[in-house]
Order: sequence, then structure tokens, then C-alpha cells
Amino acid sequence: MNDLSVEFEGVCKRYTHFSLEDIHVELPAGSVMGFIGANGAGKSTTIRILMGLVHQDKGTVQVLGHPMPADQAMAKMDIGFVSEDMRLYGAATLAWHMEFLRRIYPRWDQSYAKSLARRFGLKLEQKIKGLSHGQRVKAAMLLALARRPRLLVLDEPTTGLDPVARVEVLGELMAALADEERTILFSSHNSLDVEQISDQITFIDRGRIIDSADKETFLDRWRRLRLVLPPNVVVPRLQGVVEVGGSGRLPVLTTNCFDPAMVSVCNDLGATVEAVDTMTLEEIFVANVHSRREQLTA
Amino acid sequence: MNYSLVRSLVLKDWYFQRRAILLSLAGGVLSLAIIAFGGKPGFYAGLVFLIAILIGIGATLVVGTLVGERENQTLAFVMSLPISFREYTTAKLLVNLLIFIPFWLILVGGSLGLIVAAPDIHGLFAYTVIMAVEILMSTCLMIAVALVTESKGWTIAAMIVGNLGINVIGYIVAHIPGIANGMFGTTILWRPAATISVLVELALIALMLGGAFFFQSMKKDFI
Repeated sequence: MNDLSVEFEGVCKRYTHFSLEDIHVELPAGSVMGFIGANGAGKSTTIRILMGLVHQDKGTVQVLGHPMPADQAMAKMDIGFVSEDMRLYGAATLAWHMEFLRRIYPRWDQSYAKSLARRFGLKLEQKIKGLSHGQRVKAAMLLALARRPRLLVLDEPTTGLDPVARVEVLGELMAALADEERTILFSSHNSLDVEQISDQITFIDRGRIIDSADKETFLDRWRRLRLVLPPNVVVPRLQGVVEVGGSGRLPVLTTNCFDPAMVSVCNDLGATVEAVDTMTLEEIFVANVHSRREQLTA
Repeated sequence: MNYSLVRSLVLKDWYFQRRAILLSLAGGVLSLAIIAFGGKPGFYAGLVFLIAILIGIGATLVVGTLVGERENQTLAFVMSLPISFREYTTAKLLVNLLIFIPFWLILVGGSLGLIVAAPDIHGLFAYTVIMAVEILMSTCLMIAVALVTESKGWTIAAMIVGNLGINVIGYIVAHIPGIANGMFGTTILWRPAATISVLVELALIALMLGGAFFFQSMKKDFI
């Protein structure tokens, strides 16, 4: 029994001005993966390949045990998908959309859909074209969640939302996490949103996966060491330091494999460790991208 | 093939195009009335009106159901449903043909009925049938191009080619001896030239629709 909901093996997709290279992603069933990357990093292309909407040039993709894109119709029966560029039919009401999907999805949960509509403050008889952007995103979320999917794929769902709508959408996602069988892939360039709900994090930059681990591992192993150097002492060369910032006698070392022993090594080399700072996911992402780009240009 | 889902998609497009369908139907009935009761000038005016309605409903359907899905960014919503590219293509072809062909049959049948009822224009029977199939062919060209390209520009180009085709083919057919001879007579004539013309048009329709399926199956990026 394969307990991976999503498995990418050596996936490549080439366009004229962009390519996705050698993508390996494993998403265990029941986990929540935050997929973080800058605009144009390849998040949407990866997700479209996952959905079978774009065919990979190389590599294999399995979603809920189905090979993609060959078995996409079967796989999509168990997927709820919301993307930033997805629109509903403006001339139709939310009630019409709910009825349309109810006929397609055997597990459609009408009472859950109605309760979500109440919580989101959506009127079932209002036409979609009369809704604000935030309400449209909530409507799309409602339509995805009420399918009771085994896999929820969200491509930048919170982009463009005001803070209140963002909190509401994220809150509903948190509630959806109560179902331990449900797997969620959540892509965003906003790492704060991702940090709130994800247990797995994958960073993508310029079409390549640059790091992937569980959130706690990221937060545990990334640190900033603030040093004070006496005159004539150079910045210590330590393994696992990906970035050296700061200035002159006050360097700041960023490491992606922090070990408390690093502090004593610095002290032994004549430097004083003023502070060891934890990093936010956003800081980790930015440092990760910078170090990766420096490696590529070196 | 998930026929139930294909049916849902067909009904969905039918629902969104219901106003255009009703308006075209009303226009069609009106043009048939003009043809029937408008005398000789009314006959020609009604016929032009009828052809315009047929072309118009064909174009409206193609733009609304095919190009509109991409333009309005609803394609991602449709393709997130448990549907394959083949089922999507089938649904889109079906909805366009299922709405257009009954129109086409009613309006063309009405025209032919009027010709049969008016002995002095019986000679136009074969020509009318050939041109009616030509209008169907132009619509199928638009459907095939819109389905494969999903582009407004290419679809407009196909519309222009289709409309030019009506004039060019109308002119050519009117000069084929087997059809031209007796065209303005008072007898309904159906010669081999008419059969060949209709068969060629039907073969081209099959080629266009088959080509649309082929190119859709070759697509690697659907969004």
C-alpha cells in the first residue's frame, strides 16, 4: 500500500523561457505541504502537472495512486482544486455551482457547503459576478471543500485577499486539517500563510526544488549567529554556513545545519557569539534562495 | 468515457447560452414568416436574414462555450473536474452541434418547405441544400479552430474564412453545370453533381471534427 498522496519522480517540463528541472516531491497522505516560491518560480507549473493539466516532458507523477496525466479523470474525483487564476461562472449563482458539483461528486456534502456559506457570509442566490474578490475566493474554497476531497490543492489561494478574508480562509483550512486523512498542498509566495498551516515545507526557485523537509526541521536547523570579532580576528569558516552578512567586526552567519557546538567553535576561534537567533520561515526561504543562487553563479 | 459528466457539461453550456438560443429561435421564426408572406422581396430578405441568424448562433455558441472558457478563466474550474481532455473535447463538440444542428434543421427544413410550396422556385432546391450544408461546414470549421486554439483571434479568422467560403462556394456551385442548369426552373432536380457536392462537404466536416480530436489529443498543455 502506497501511503504517498503525491509523488513526483524526476519531472521535467521545458518551455522557451522557463524550465522545471528534475522535480522530486513526496507528499505523505494526511500531511500538509506548504509549497513556497517567488513569483515565476514554478509553483503553478508543478501544480498543473500534478492536476494533469500540463503534461511533463520527463519523469513520472502519481497522485492518489493514479499515474498522471493518463489517469487524471479518476484522480480528480478525489481532488479539490483552487487556484488564484481560477474563476467561477459570473452569470451563475453560488447555488447553481453547488448544484452543478453535487451532480458530479458522489461525496458532495450539501449541508457542509451551506454551513461554509454561512460562515463565509456568502449568499447562495447571489451571482458570482456580484461578489468581491475575497468572496469569490471563499466561494471557490467552499466548492472545493464540500467535495470532501482526499487531496486539496491550493495554488496561491490567499493572493489578493484582505487580512480579514485571509484569516477566514486560513481558519477554514485549519478546520479542514481536523480530517487526518486529508492531504493538502498549499502553494504561496507568502510564507506567513504557509507557516500557519503546513507541517511539510518545500522551497522552489527558478524551476528547481531547493529544499524540502518538515517545518520543525527547518525551524530547528536554521539559525543566525551574531558575532563580535576582536581586532585581527577573521570571520570563522564553519561548515554549514550558507551566508555571511553583517559588517566588519559584527558579522552575522546564517547556517542551515545549526549545532550548539558551533558556538564553542566560534569562541575557540576568537570570536564572541553575541546571540543565536531563530529564523522565521520567510527568513529561511530568502536565505535559502540567496545561497542557492550564489552556488549556481559561483 | 464518463457520459454522465459529459452530459453535465453539455447542460451547463446549454444553460449559459439559453438567451442566445431563444433570441435566435425567435429571429428564425420571424425570417421564415418574412419568406412565407413577404412576396418576392420578402423571400430574398428573409433568406439573407435566415443565413445571418444561422451564422450568428454558430458564432455565438463557439465564442460563448469555447473561447469564453479561456477568456473568462473558467477553464481551470472545468478542468479541475474529474474529466479527461477527450471528454472535454466531446462535451464541447456535442454542445455546439446539439444546439446548432436542430436550429439548422428547423430553419433549413423551413426554407426547403417554402421552396417546395412555391413551384416557381423549385429549381433552387439542390442549390439550397448544398449551401445549407456549407453553412454547417463553416460552423464546424469555427468549432474545430476554437476548440484547438481557444483563441479569439484564430476563431475570428475561421469565421472570416467560413463567411468568405459561403460566397465563394455559393458562386462556384452556382456555376457547376449539373446544378446551374435548371436552377431557376420550376422543377426540383437532384443530379449527381449535387450528391457529390454534399458528400464532399460532409467529408470535410468529418475531417475537421476528426482533426479537432486529433489535435486535442496531441496537446500537452491544457491550461
